[in-house]
Amino acid sequence: MPVTALGFDRLAICRFATDRARALFPGREPVGLSATILFADWTTPPAFDRNGIATLRRRADQFLRCDTTRHPDGTWDCVLTDTGQDNGPIVAPPVDDLTGLILRGALRDKLAGVLADARARQTGVAVHAIDLDRFKQINDTLGHAVGDLLLVKVAERLRSTLEPGDHAARLGGDEFLVVQAGVSDRAEAEARAARLTDLIGRTYVVQGHMLNVGASVGVALCPDDATDAVSLLRHADLALYRAKADGRGIARFFEPGMNARMQARQQLEADLRLALARRQFSLAFQPQYCLDAGSVSGFEALLRWTHPERGPISPADFIPLAEEIGLIVGIGEWVLRTACREAVGWPIPASIAVNVSPVQFKTGKLAETVFSVLAQTGLAPGRLELEITEGALLDETNLVLKTLHAVRDIGVRVSMDDFGTGYSSLSYLRRFPFDKIKIDQSFVRGLGDGRDCEAIVRAVASLGASLGMRTTAEGVETPEQLARVRAEGCTEVQGYLTGRPLTAADATTLLLAETGKAKTHA
Amino acid sequence: MPDDDHLHRLVYYSRNRIDGPLNEAVRTILAASRRNNAPLAVTGALMFNAGCFAQVLEGDRAVLESTFERIQQDPRHGDVSVLAFEPIAARSFGQWSMGFVGARPDHAAAFADVATASGFDPAVASGDEVLRALHGLALEDEDASA
Repeated sequence: MPVTALGFDRLAICRFATDRARALFPGREPVGLSATILFADWTTPPAFDRNGIATLRRRADQFLRCDTTRHPDGTWDCVLTDTGQDNGPIVAPPVDDLTGLILRGALRDKLAGVLADARARQTGVAVHAIDLDRFKQINDTLGHAVGDLLLVKVAERLRSTLEPGDHAARLGGDEFLVVQAGVSDRAEAEARAARLTDLIGRTYVVQGHMLNVGASVGVALCPDDATDAVSLLRHADLALYRAKADGRGIARFFEPGMNARMQARQQLEADLRLALARRQFSLAFQPQYCLDAGSVSGFEALLRWTHPERGPISPADFIPLAEEIGLIVGIGEWVLRTACREAVGWPIPASIAVNVSPVQFKTGKLAETVFSVLAQTGLAPGRLELEITEGALLDETNLVLKTLHAVRDIGVRVSMDDFGTGYSSLSYLRRFPFDKIKIDQSFVRGLGDGRDCEAIVRAVASLGASLGMRTTAEGVETPEQLARVRAEGCTEVQGYLTGRPLTAADATTLLLAETGKAKTHA
Repeated sequence: MPDDDHLHRLVYYSRNRIDGPLNEAVRTILAASRRNNAPLAVTGALMFNAGCFAQVLEGDRAVLESTFERIQQDPRHGDVSVLAFEPIAARSFGQWSMGFVGARPDHAAAFADVATASGFDPAVASGDEVLRALHGLALEDEDASA
């Protein structure tokens, strides 16, 4: 039986819709719209995007049972059932119980009224979509009671900015909306948006805690950007999306290009979803060179994506997207499996380093995946090296440490990648016995420019030596850099000088040459 | 009188964003604060000049939280930095007062009566470590506003 289902990403943008779900939104393509916009004309309970069952209502006689599943990576999907009657546990009240602000449905009515009024008076309207930054962390660390009190204060501050004729609404968890009426020029909307980010971003004191949340604001203007409620809400949402991407705590105004950029992003995402199945990924192998032995000790597997029309896409462009939408879990598993399978066929037991994304740890299944790949490929665990960045250790540190210990217990090695680019490396070095520290290439590039980089490289190499960890200098490109990192005590190097990323076949050839070299020496 | 078990101190520092005459705004703040703070048993000191506000508030925690929320919503200042919010054993200030802190002689003369009217005692300020630090910050910001 065909289902009516919608899927949303972490930013509550609809990412898939079944044909039956599309039929619920005549004249609009749901994919690409935010939940806020999509359900703008439905009366939704405050938490319909949380796990559980809620009842949504559009007309007096149209009810939908909404069964929501929220996934660990922050995406969620809901299965909708047209019940024809309200038999769900929740019927949305006209105002939000917690903050007293109006809800989505009422907001839509108010906005329609404000727009009609503005047309008659020939004035403008600004729609400010507001999203709190870091609210989830506060909720998670201090509990919902404190989080709720904070939301009440945020709502009070929003109300304090309202002029007669304006409206404020709570659209969901930490999403708010302000309709500013009687706007005579863009500067007035800019002043209000600046006031909103400033005011909401000011410190709160709640239950003895000093709390800081930022507010990202997306603004759409009537008549400049659109004149109907649905488009204005959508444009404000696109601008909000941009504000969050641009660093949070800021306001962004809608620009026509945002639509195009969002569409380009959606296209890239759609292509990325197919890339694995269509075998568009490949691996390159960059040699890691051991300074003591004077030979290749192993390779780092690097992911490459060759787009059928656009050609090679930079990992810097698609990996963050793959992480955001959770695809990195499947891709990461493919990389691990492919790299291990390749390494098994090498003529000498060189090591194979594979990068692991923070998102892969969050699934809680990473160790299991590693075990199964090792068992299936037959690679000796001691040859596999997982490279993690400090970012992986920032959240849910205990879960990550548990995974790292589990893989290390069977002999898999673990490296700290891009060392020196994060914040709290030293405490993490204490909490987990890494096998290797990889010094970020920015420090290696800076060697010779001044004393700072040399001091840092030397300090990390000596730190590694004292902790019994090897140290790899990344991005070594010149013989001078090689001489310096050797002098500072690094044990391994990786970079264009000692070897560019190679195809699988070339990597094997290089290892064969190494075995020849070893025989000659013997 | 609120329970002294919850006695807290909140210290903040912010940029003065008063448009127009400082004189009028300062007198409005003084009147409103005296009206609001005494019944709530909020004590402390507010120092100001053309560049900044620096305030110590003492009182029951919940009362301070709502008082501070009102202060935060005030558009007459911005860039609010909370320097401390912590439980204290005893009050350092027996009342709430307000005084001009700065080097500009015209302002010093104009606001001398504010300190007198509110009982602002520069000796208390110099005896308290937090206030001494605030005093230093305030003097720097007066220059910045000139």
